[in-house]
Amino acid sequence: MNQTPQANQSTDHLGHDKLSAFIDGELAPAEKQRIEQHLSTCHECTLRVLSATQLKTATARAGQRFAPPPDALARLTAQLHSQQAPAKPLQTMKTQANLPTKTPARIFSIRPAAWAALAAAILLTVSFLGWRQLHPTNTLAAELLDQHLATLSSSATPQVISTDRHTVKPWFQGRLPFSFNLPEPAALPPDTTLKGANLTYLNGQPAALLLFTIHKHEVSVFLTQRSTSPTLTTLPNTRSGFTLHAATTPDLRIVAVSDVNPAELDNLIASLVQAQKPI
Amino acid sequence: MSSATTRSAEFEQLALPLLASLYNHAHWLTRNPAEAEDLVQETFTKALRAFDSFQSDTNFKAWIFRILRNTFLTTRAGIAAARTVFLEDHPDTLDTTASGPTPEEILLRLDNDATLHTALEQLQPQLREALLLCDVEEIKYKDIAVILDVPIGTVMSRISRARRTLRQLLQPQLGESL
Ligand SMILES: [Zn+2]
Repeated sequence: MNQTPQANQSTDHLGHDKLSAFIDGELAPAEKQRIEQHLSTCHECTLRVLSATQLKTATARAGQRFAPPPDALARLTAQLHSQQAPAKPLQTMKTQANLPTKTPARIFSIRPAAWAALAAAILLTVSFLGWRQLHPTNTLAAELLDQHLATLSSSATPQVISTDRHTVKPWFQGRLPFSFNLPEPAALPPDTTLKGANLTYLNGQPAALLLFTIHKHEVSVFLTQRSTSPTLTTLPNTRSGFTLHAATTPDLRIVAVSDVNPAELDNLIASLVQAQKPI
Repeated sequence: MSSATTRSAEFEQLALPLLASLYNHAHWLTRNPAEAEDLVQETFTKALRAFDSFQSDTNFKAWIFRILRNTFLTTRAGIAAARTVFLEDHPDTLDTTASGPTPEEILLRLDNDATLHTALEQLQPQLREALLLCDVEEIKYKDIAVILDVPIGTVMSRISRARRTLRQLLQPQLGESL
């Protein structure tokens, strides 16, 4: 897009429009690359990009605000199906000529309520799957398990090795477009220890991977931003002998993977959920 | 099956998954549930009538959102909205004197949707419209340009301006970050 000469230098900070277009994925590859190069050296612009991404995500969520009421949904769905004369008179606008009848009258044998139910089912599917590109749940389960298994290998070293939540939490600051809290050690379930953490990606979304042990069992806990992460309601509870349990808070999606007994895994998840609640 | 019936079945198949999006956007435009429903109803009627001219290699979503918007502009609310003077799109009247953001500006507390709803409502309609098409509907700039009937550079500056304005509106309500 229209670029000023000085924007070609990677030392320049991102302008507002460029930053905006960058997070929308609207820049040409060369320009995108130049900006990525600048971001790799400029902490300030990196934070601005993260902040802008966060605002975009929040806008996407807040902007999906008005769902059609059931009766309106039924009327509009029926209208679409028949494209007969409107199912109810217009409330505020004058229509011009009605459409010629294009479909047989059989449609009227179906009650609006049935269409409402059908439409609701479709809309539900659409809102879960349609607007964001989501991977199938079993793919996600496989990805979670793969990442957990990778942490088990003896050569794997966490990017942050610390049992101290005051070290681990700030490490993610500026690396993730969201924040989270870690429980006090005293608030963790018995014999549960924080070992370290990694920055990782799930379905292309940045995620915090927290590594715990419960007794001698390794536990991987993935934290993602709720508004951008896929719906996990149908995540299988177990896969290849490992337990996968999930929980959500208003902001976060939490998934834990381990071979420890499921009740103890749930205690850890509960302590993490508890830690997110405002004091 | 007649070809008209097939065609309207095809239309239904394309339009039904967009019903919720169209209604949501219509509500943002009209600010009223009854008018939103009427607007979507009118849009469906006009869109099917024009569907023969729809090219199957073009973006149906952008096409029908454009019809929605053009229909809105013929309503009383739409005519009023179009008359409001909008300081557009070139001179930058927002405060950009500060060289960089302070840390407090960086991480907005956006866990409270009500705060953001209020800020979105306060945005100028032209800015809000562009931003919602981008962030909520995930429509590309070039298609937003078609929907709004403005150049793509205007789309970019409206979206950018919408975000800066939102940020300013959210600023006084910020809690501590992280
Ligand atoms: Zn910079």
